[in-house]
Amino acid sequence: MAQPQVLARPKVTTMAAKRRQEALTGYMFMAPALVIFLVFLIIPIGAAVYLSFTDWNGITPVFDEGAYQQVGLDNYRDLLLGEHTEDDGRVVKATTRQRDFFISLKNTTYYVLGVVPTQTLLALILAVIVNQRWLKAKGFFRTAFYFPSITSSVVISIIFMWMFTRGGLINTTIGAVFSGYDSGSFVNWLDDPRGVIHIILEQFGVTRANVGDWASNRSLGLTTWEWLSGPSVTMLTIMILNTWTTIGTMMVIFLAALQNIPSSVYEAAAIDGANAWRIFRQITVPLLRPTTFFVVTLGLIGCFQVFDQIYVISSGGPAKTTLTVAYMVYQNGFNRSAMGLAAATAIILFVIIFAFTLLQRLFVSERANV
Amino acid sequence: MRKLSVLTLVVVLALVVSAAGAALARQNVEITLMGWSSSTEENDALLAQVAAFEAANPGISVNVQLVPEYDTTIQAAFASGDSPNVFYVDSSKLPDWAEAGVLASGEGMIENLDDHYESLLEAFTYDGTLYCPPKDFSIMALQYNKDMFDAAGLDYPTPDWTWDDLRAAAEALTGENEAGQKVLGLVTPPNFERWLPFLYQAGGSVLSEDWTEVTLDSDEAREALEFYIGMVNDGIAGPPSMVDAGWGGEAFAQGRVALAMEGNWVISYLVEQFPDLNWGVTELPRHPAGGQASMVFTVCYSVASDNDYPDESWQLANFLTGPEGSQLVAEEGFGVIPPAISAADTWLEAIGPEIGEGFLAGAEYAHKWQFPVGFQDVFDTFNADLQLAFEGQYLAEDVIIDTIGVAEEVLAR
Repeated sequence: MAQPQVLARPKVTTMAAKRRQEALTGYMFMAPALVIFLVFLIIPIGAAVYLSFTDWNGITPVFDEGAYQQVGLDNYRDLLLGEHTEDDGRVVKATTRQRDFFISLKNTTYYVLGVVPTQTLLALILAVIVNQRWLKAKGFFRTAFYFPSITSSVVISIIFMWMFTRGGLINTTIGAVFSGYDSGSFVNWLDDPRGVIHIILEQFGVTRANVGDWASNRSLGLTTWEWLSGPSVTMLTIMILNTWTTIGTMMVIFLAALQNIPSSVYEAAAIDGANAWRIFRQITVPLLRPTTFFVVTLGLIGCFQVFDQIYVISSGGPAKTTLTVAYMVYQNGFNRSAMGLAAATAIILFVIIFAFTLLQRLFVSERANV
Repeated sequence: MRKLSVLTLVVVLALVVSAAGAALARQNVEITLMGWSSSTEENDALLAQVAAFEAANPGISVNVQLVPEYDTTIQAAFASGDSPNVFYVDSSKLPDWAEAGVLASGEGMIENLDDHYESLLEAFTYDGTLYCPPKDFSIMALQYNKDMFDAAGLDYPTPDWTWDDLRAAAEALTGENEAGQKVLGLVTPPNFERWLPFLYQAGGSVLSEDWTEVTLDSDEAREALEFYIGMVNDGIAGPPSMVDAGWGGEAFAQGRVALAMEGNWVISYLVEQFPDLNWGVTELPRHPAGGQASMVFTVCYSVASDNDYPDESWQLANFLTGPEGSQLVAEEGFGVIPPAISAADTWLEAIGPEIGEGFLAGAEYAHKWQFPVGFQDVFDTFNADLQLAFEGQYLAEDVIIDTIGVAEEVLAR
């Protein structure tokens, strides 16, 4: 009886040892990536969360004694609530911080609502076009559409600024086509704080003055009228710019997915007598669903974090209408000596993006199951 | 045995090398000077100043770092405890950085106090402590396009012009150029600091002397703001973007405005890039009641509080801002005015008195560009409201009420 055990035991240990050995080798291979992940991602995120509960000014060396005080949830309270009552009954106002935060959230939301659907749709259309067999010079078109995506966003922003100045290419071109559009009535693309929805309403004679009292109701620091402004003309310009630069990347992703759809599916549909539109609606689009999810998620995250175009073109102006949440993080951290507040703003942005991604995942996977 | 001797040798060698290194380091101190990059001429002049300092102080070498995105870069350096020894501080940033404790006090360390303008030293005094010697300064003045004045048959502006003269000239000079583009009388950037001279000229103020109370709720403030906004609403003035320019100097250089109120930074821009432009400069106009005011924008050389070589750092800062260092800059004759009073004549000579005097005259009565920590919120609110007021959506009164609200909130923080 004892003998088989004696025989079996070394075999078991070698297996376990081998497994350990393998696991160790595996971790060794992953180590460089893990270390980078830890040092450049996990630790900074942890530090940001920690700092968001402090009043650090971002200047005093962070490891110095007394560089910051723990302030608990004060930063979040200032951003989200605006004012609060101290223990001694004193009312402390932080309405500017709250107002700025919700202005930036409003601007970012309009930005996301405008850019994400547009760029996804346009990218899909472009991908389908450059995927057509009959198209000549495919390589040229693919490169041309992809080109803006690989060019520096700062350079592109500066070129856009030249094109969109009041007497610039865009206005003079429109002016050449439409006779009534001259230097007296040129749109000031880069410096017009009026909201697009406000402008449209004005065409129908609806203004703040005659729309009724409900427009003056304040919620979260802004009047209802302000909430309904739509993106400003300047924000619209930046939205056009960003759509143009990102559709290339999205197109390439769609293109890869399109080429992965087996031709047998299309042939089967064609034999069943489906026309081109029907094939597109009922074969291509459903089969692209995982890719669409990916593209929309990428778009959402990118749009919520929009920063460099704003930094180059408008610095949040005119009249704070291009102030986005990411730009506000920068402003609080570097212009206002309030790094703790900046960290809190960043954490809230993170939560928003995370929530939207989850929500959208839920939505897309439910649809996929039907 | 052999192994041991090799080890001993290595250890001994290492000790010798490090000791020699330490001795060398003591003899040759390297201090870091950080600033932002200006024009090529200005950078070269700084390097020449530094070379003169190194020649006069053997044993001290200076590592000059002119960085882009200065505020961000140096803030990261401060935060990580890796501050340069000497660095630029803009007067508007002084309160933030002094509060954060990254600046060494200059009390008893700054030399040549008599040779500095009182208004500049005041700009670098925070909470009763003088922090740093001024590096250079710029003063807002009135630039006018001579050709446009000639064409309209108007007399050139003079230092005793009042707001009424300014308005009348702007009105007369508004029109169109040959290309059919809109030309405005005056460029009015939608910025708090560009409006402040009008407030001060009218006799108003933003804060009480001790920075504890907001004093914007005044007739003077309303008058000054209504004047500024009124010119825009009447179509005789406007922000740079209205005439396709990024800033006032550009609008002026391209002949799209007849009058601009820039500081002396505009000199090298106009002289180098628009040599054909026929322009002159004089002091800012006065309030009809005679009140005179301008703004001074200035930068200093500050010494870091966290510093291995404080004495050498002060030596450098004092040299760069002293009579000798100032002369070196003044001779080059570019835009910014050197800090030492004794170098003013050299600067005027180099830049040309007819241009220099218009700017320099303001040194007597200019106000500093400096407000308490966190006032950026106030500027942003004011600027945003001002833009809406330019569009006719806000009244001066709305702007003032908003600004007071934010200023009081910031002071209570």
